[in-house]
Amino acid sequence: MSEALPFAYVRFDGRQLLRHATGPGRRLRIDGRCIGGEPVAGAFAHVCALPDAAAALRFDEPEVQQARRDALAWWIPMLGDALVCLSTFALDASRCAGAMTVTRAPAPWGDDPFARLFPGTVARPDFLCPVAPPAGPVIERYAGAPWPGGHFG
Amino acid sequence: MAELVPGSRFPDLDLPDHTGRARRLSELAGGDPFALFTSRGWWCPKEQRYLHELCRVQDEFEVAYARIVVVSVDSPEVQSALRAGLGARFTFLSDVERRWIGPLGLCEGTDALHYPYRPAAFTLFPNLSIHRAYNGYWYWGRARMEELRRDMREISEKIRPDWEVPPA
Repeated sequence: MSEALPFAYVRFDGRQLLRHATGPGRRLRIDGRCIGGEPVAGAFAHVCALPDAAAALRFDEPEVQQARRDALAWWIPMLGDALVCLSTFALDASRCAGAMTVTRAPAPWGDDPFARLFPGTVARPDFLCPVAPPAGPVIERYAGAPWPGGHFG
Repeated sequence: MAELVPGSRFPDLDLPDHTGRARRLSELAGGDPFALFTSRGWWCPKEQRYLHELCRVQDEFEVAYARIVVVSVDSPEVQSALRAGLGARFTFLSDVERRWIGPLGLCEGTDALHYPYRPAAFTLFPNLSIHRAYNGYWYWGRARMEELRRDMREISEKIRPDWEVPPA
């Protein structure tokens, strides 16, 4: 991962999450650290997103902010050691296309706060790696970088 | 024993967080200014009151690129329950083994039952340099929310290269 580009591209076709910047499916930005290490075999990804290019909300919308607050408050603690990584999907500097929560085992996906934004699909990606969960309470995002990725300087 | 005074470097604590995951203080800072609090534990009514105050100011920290970290001798499970009850979204670090309480010189020796941390607060640069230190042994010595806002502003002013708005 380049330090100058704090995100990586994946694609989502409505069923699977693919590690390609080009090809079929909708192109989404994820926190680049999620593909920066040793992948977790057999991981489950709850992908709260739609392949439709119009399915997006602004990151600054209250419902998107509240989903991040809930992730920090109880979703991440509830998942415990099962959590592999978590990232919102960014489209550009201001729009959010949802989020993915990646775990080592099936989780109570119905509780996923990001499922309030877009419906969830369980995918089985083989390229995502462990990332230390975000330390709260920061929910603010660096323009263009999917939360919790990015930093100044 | 660490000298916890303005200008010195706070030790890079390595402790489990409220979920039991291993964390380092420098990792939690994540390049942002932050406020570190040592807290007696869940049982102390003064701590409960003060943590409620921190929960009120967390709404500002969460949008202002700044962090809050609380260290206590509670176990991660107890911290997790306390955190949920408070509605806190910041990180708690558990020193249930009291590994850092001695090296930091922050043991509240007057409590021979819990051997907890003495309440204190430190406002820190991302590199863990101490900006200000507060002694909260008496409740009125604790960092007030206005003082935290002032300190976060002073640190941000020094570390954000675009604090003065860049020319368009």
